[in-house]
Amino acid sequence: MLNTLHLINSSIWAGPLAKLELGNHYYWTLGGLKLHGQVFLVSWFVGALIIGVAFLASRKIERVPSGLQNFMEYALEFIRDLAKDQIGEKEYRPWVPFIGTLFLFIFVSNWSGALIPWKLIHIPGGAELAAPTNDINTTVALALLTSLAYFYAGFRKRGLGYFAKYIEPIPLLMPINILEDFTKPLSLSFRLFGNILADELVVAVLVLLVPLFVPLPAMALGLFTSAIQALIFATLAAVYIGEAIEGHGEEEHG
Amino acid sequence: MWTGLTLLAVEAAEATQEGGGLFDLDATLPLMAIQFLILMAVLNAIFYKPLGAAIDDRDTYVREAKGNAQERLAKAEKLAAEYEQSLAGARREARTVIEQAQAEAQKLAAQSQAAAQQEAAAQRESVQQELDKQKTAAMSQLETQVGSLSDQILGKLLGSAA
Repeated sequence: MLNTLHLINSSIWAGPLAKLELGNHYYWTLGGLKLHGQVFLVSWFVGALIIGVAFLASRKIERVPSGLQNFMEYALEFIRDLAKDQIGEKEYRPWVPFIGTLFLFIFVSNWSGALIPWKLIHIPGGAELAAPTNDINTTVALALLTSLAYFYAGFRKRGLGYFAKYIEPIPLLMPINILEDFTKPLSLSFRLFGNILADELVVAVLVLLVPLFVPLPAMALGLFTSAIQALIFATLAAVYIGEAIEGHGEEEHG
Repeated sequence: MWTGLTLLAVEAAEATQEGGGLFDLDATLPLMAIQFLILMAVLNAIFYKPLGAAIDDRDTYVREAKGNAQERLAKAEKLAAEYEQSLAGARREARTVIEQAQAEAQKLAAQSQAAAQQEAAAQRESVQQELDKQKTAAMSQLETQVGSLSDQILGKLLGSAA
């Protein structure tokens, strides 16, 4: 079973330290369905953190913002600009909550995985608490929601004419156009999952080899990667939605 | 380490049968999606809507205030220009008044000067005339005196000689 990655198989080093746990889950069962408990625990923490900060920021709104309100307004303006750039001035407003929640959830998840020493909290099943985005279920869920979102956006805007995109610019490209609807969520989910998991693995391996100071640059790089991945996911989701609204052939929104 | 990684590949293939592993898709996926939608709804209610409204309100407030300020600035500039114009008019008027007064005064001064000069000339002439008259009177008197004196001298000289 894939739960022990023997890093160094030499007899001198083989010990309890020299192995890395991978792919273990803290299973919950709900009506006969299996759930990954560790993912839910951290995702609740992330959600509570975001909701708490958002609540504190918008508790009493002032015209001249200060402190937390100012900070969250900065975040909101950032998200709005991101959505506006990709979807267009006319259509972006209803999509701000979706894009924004994607960005905030992924960003806070990634950074909580990189900054909070979850490994100090022991949970049963040999699993470890980590960023929810290093579980394929989370990233596939987010990617499928993005797919649903852009289909919904396309249908709402163009009705059944949305299907015309499959034969644009020429009907010969139909297989590729259909394939695109599968590759989009696939690439979205695996990019995020792979980057976050790889980052956590690199840090873990470096910690195993040299427990002091050496992993620090990798950790700093991990923070950077995490932020970039959140931005990429949100931007691509916005791009797909904007594309579905705008259509391939027509250039009505500039 | 490489042996470890090959093990990873082999074990990943086995993992699907036993449950667990990295690519273990299960009910976590739909529940996560629902959870995300709930998070989105909650954030929409407490974050995106109120703060977005606050940002938009501020934008309109700033735009209105800016428009008002520009209007007022334009009005103030117009007023200032008007004042400037009337000020220039008043200044011009004042200058003409001053010039007129100066010209008048100069005329007056010239007039009185001329009159004074005339008077002085007249006085001088009359004085001259008086002097001349007195001089001629004195001359005639002197002449008569000279005649009598010369007569007397003549008499004396002739008397003594005779």
